[in-house]
Amino acid sequence: MIRTPLRPLARILKARDTGENPDTIERENIRQRHEEMRDKSRARAEGRLLLMCVMFLGAFIVIGAQMTILANSEAQEPRASAAGARIVAQRADIVDRKGRILATNLETHSLYAQPHHMIDKERVARELAEIFPDLKEERLVKDFTGKRKFIWIKKKLSPEQKQAVHDIGDPGLLFGPREMRLYPNGTIAAHILGGASFGKEDVRAAEVIGVAGVEKYFDDVLRDPANGDKALTLSLDLTVQAAAERVLYGGMRLMNAKGATSVLLDVHTGEVISMVSLPDFDPNDRPRPPTEGNPSDSPLFNRAVQGLYELGSTFKIFTAAQAMDLGLANASTMINTAGPLQWGKFRIRDFRNYGAQLSLTKVIVKSSNIGTARLAQIIGAERQQDFLRDLGFFEPTSVELVEASGAKPLLPPRWSELSTMTVSYGHGLSASPLHLAAGYAAIANGGKRVVPTLLRRSTPQNGPRVMSESAAREARSMLRQVVTDGTASLGEVPGYAVGGKTGTADKPKERGGGYYDDKVIATFASMFPAHDPKYVLIVTLDEPVETSGPEPRRTAGWTAVPVAAEMIGRIAPLLGMRPDVEPGQLAGITLTAH
Amino acid sequence: MSYLEYAVKTVPTGWRKILYLNWPLILLIMAVASTGFLMLYSVAGGSFSPWVEPQLKRFVMGLVLMLFVAMVPIWFWRNISVVAYLGTLVLLILVEIMGSVGMGAQRWIDLGFMRLQPSELMKITLVMLLAAYYDWLPLPRTSRPIWVAIPVLIILIPTALVLRQPDLGTSILLLAGGGMVMFMAGVHWAYFAAVIGMGVGLVTAVFQSRGTEWQLLKDYQYRRIDTFLDPASDPLGAGYHITQSKIALGSGGWTGRGFMQGTQSRLNFLPEKHTDFIFTTLAEEFGFVGAFSLLSLYALIVVFCIASALMNRDRFSSLLTLGIAATFFLFFAVNMSMVMGLAPVVGVPLPLVSYGGSAMLVLMVAFGLVQSAHVHRAR
Repeated sequence: MIRTPLRPLARILKARDTGENPDTIERENIRQRHEEMRDKSRARAEGRLLLMCVMFLGAFIVIGAQMTILANSEAQEPRASAAGARIVAQRADIVDRKGRILATNLETHSLYAQPHHMIDKERVARELAEIFPDLKEERLVKDFTGKRKFIWIKKKLSPEQKQAVHDIGDPGLLFGPREMRLYPNGTIAAHILGGASFGKEDVRAAEVIGVAGVEKYFDDVLRDPANGDKALTLSLDLTVQAAAERVLYGGMRLMNAKGATSVLLDVHTGEVISMVSLPDFDPNDRPRPPTEGNPSDSPLFNRAVQGLYELGSTFKIFTAAQAMDLGLANASTMINTAGPLQWGKFRIRDFRNYGAQLSLTKVIVKSSNIGTARLAQIIGAERQQDFLRDLGFFEPTSVELVEASGAKPLLPPRWSELSTMTVSYGHGLSASPLHLAAGYAAIANGGKRVVPTLLRRSTPQNGPRVMSESAAREARSMLRQVVTDGTASLGEVPGYAVGGKTGTADKPKERGGGYYDDKVIATFASMFPAHDPKYVLIVTLDEPVETSGPEPRRTAGWTAVPVAAEMIGRIAPLLGMRPDVEPGQLAGITLTAH
Repeated sequence: MSYLEYAVKTVPTGWRKILYLNWPLILLIMAVASTGFLMLYSVAGGSFSPWVEPQLKRFVMGLVLMLFVAMVPIWFWRNISVVAYLGTLVLLILVEIMGSVGMGAQRWIDLGFMRLQPSELMKITLVMLLAAYYDWLPLPRTSRPIWVAIPVLIILIPTALVLRQPDLGTSILLLAGGGMVMFMAGVHWAYFAAVIGMGVGLVTAVFQSRGTEWQLLKDYQYRRIDTFLDPASDPLGAGYHITQSKIALGSGGWTGRGFMQGTQSRLNFLPEKHTDFIFTTLAEEFGFVGAFSLLSLYALIVVFCIASALMNRDRFSSLLTLGIAATFFLFFAVNMSMVMGLAPVVGVPLPLVSYGGSAMLVLMVAFGLVQSAHVHRAR
């Protein structure tokens, strides 16, 4: 910037000459310059100020306009659908074959906290700990005084609990509505229903997802809004299930068993009418899976489906039926039962010595291992495998439980001739009680393959034929004789002719290396009424000991059979079966085979 | 023209100064503050505790402080502006260090009787220093790049510190307030055009690049920006405040539900109902009439400040007054826009109304400076 000098020399000299004060010139110059600058800067500043005022006015108008719009608007709750992925809380009911509720939904509330809204955190923590004994006061205080702005306290509240929390009256405690899964029958059918828990959840709703059993197997179906409120109908009968659980529980206690299971199968439709596994649990409060110990002893373990046991002599009837089906023997064919049967280092013995030979019927009735093994030798490994495969013993059952697919029967790694012999009387092959039920159902219904199902169906399955009608009939006649004058004599139920086969298998040691002497799996596989079976019932007891006699008795005839008989006596009327008025007059049954 | 260059003989002295205060401005401030007390009383469910009482005490203290600041000649404040700015900067850094050493983010320093937020204080001292700077700077140099770079640094250093706290609202206020002082001081408009152009360009680039190969941000960052800009897309999450306050405003209608009758705010639907979102309570209980009245009161305060600045021939005084007016304007404009869903939620309190110590006292000091400039102006 070019400055004009404040004291212009020419003018000052002139002023001095004229005798004026040169300072006035300087002062005048200063004033002029200041005025110039001030005018310029003021003009500019005023322009800027005007612009800013326009901006202010613009903002003022925008805010005022928005205020007008909002004041004019209807107050509207935001719709949840705008919140991205919506949580679908709906879930269909599960009912039994007669439409009785097994699982339904209940409106409850969840409880959460927003500590920054709390007035008295210590008091809230103290009173919450009083209402919910499982909550620790110190822990709550720590949570509330921490940085978190949102804390779940309880996922489900009962109405009483809700009222109690309400009475604390703190604005930092908030409730969210949510549906929960309710199993009104408690422990009944616990293993079949499985249980449910929450998936995605927020304070307004929560997704109920199945975690086990049919709840998980049919999770998609139950949650599909397209199905509406249509309930899922199971094949179970609630009354039969309840009675079976009651009897089995009593039997388990009486026989000092550590576990028990029963399966009741409709032999024509394959429907599972009842399936019990003990010990059980309450699906409303499903326990956590055990972290130690044997998982197969956990209450969550479904013995009927997941439990793979060597089912012992119950398998003998399959050998006999196949031999008759193949025409290798008939009921009266004499079988060599001279023992012991030596095979390499392995010895096959009988419970008692039954002499040199027995008829096939007697082999079954007396449960001769030697006789069955000899028969299996004649049948051969391949034909035996084919037959057992046809009956479903090579694959997991396809029953509608998530647990079922993991229960693949344990087969001999190499199916040697020795395996053939042991499998014929139920050792060396582990299968679930449900597998056994399906196998027996094929005998009971006249030789047709049955696939067990948990879904209600009204028509017979009419599966592929696995044995001839006559072979099945002969086998049934043998099973009836096992009860009338064999190992299952305690299985007689007045009014209901029961046929069946016992099986007592030593439990293998967990760490391999042989079998326990004093631990058995006792099974009674039965069907009733024996002349035209409608149902197959399997009862299996885990480590039973019957101690009423002078010596502890563990065989199935003393343990599983009376439990099964009691159960049949209880459930047959519930199934709508009338007792035969005159026991002994059994149409279609001949006591001697021909 | 600087105060050194005009005679100060005509400036009132002693107790006479009280007569020359900008009394209408004081009355307006008291009116706004009273609205605040009323709202805090209502939010507390008709009780003086926990908010009205301390707020009232602080306001009285603020008034005394304001009068004290107003009595001190404005040239004293001009002379200490550099020291004040540097002192506040040190406090900001101190808070930053304490925050990283101690636990979590800390924005305040405990003075015993109150907690002082240096970032609040910075709003005034920044404006003071900028006004003093342009008062000192010969006019012709105003738009030279070097002399523009210095105030830019003066603004950006505290802004960056506050942004690190993190306090987006205050840093925006600092940036915009400082920019306005520079604008008013007559910095060439091309600088502002360049900054605005660059800002727009950057934002456009960021958004244009979305979904292309040279995408500038990560996907989740875009989603965050989306909810930030449009909270309505997530009404139960990030948009909860806004949705609820819009409901409150809507339910207030034209004349409101009546004092202490607001449901949204009293039934705890509204978060931060006594601080940043107190405007919703007013709008719900007194409706459009009440809300617009408060807006008008604010506007009047700004108008009185501008009028005072225009009357003042001292460059420092008028720049300071305008800067404070601009900051004050930004305060309530940002808060109201945010509450009404016009702007993203950035956490700016409603000046003189929201509950909070630092902001209230700092604002009163600022108005004390405005009064001082008004009293000590050359006549």
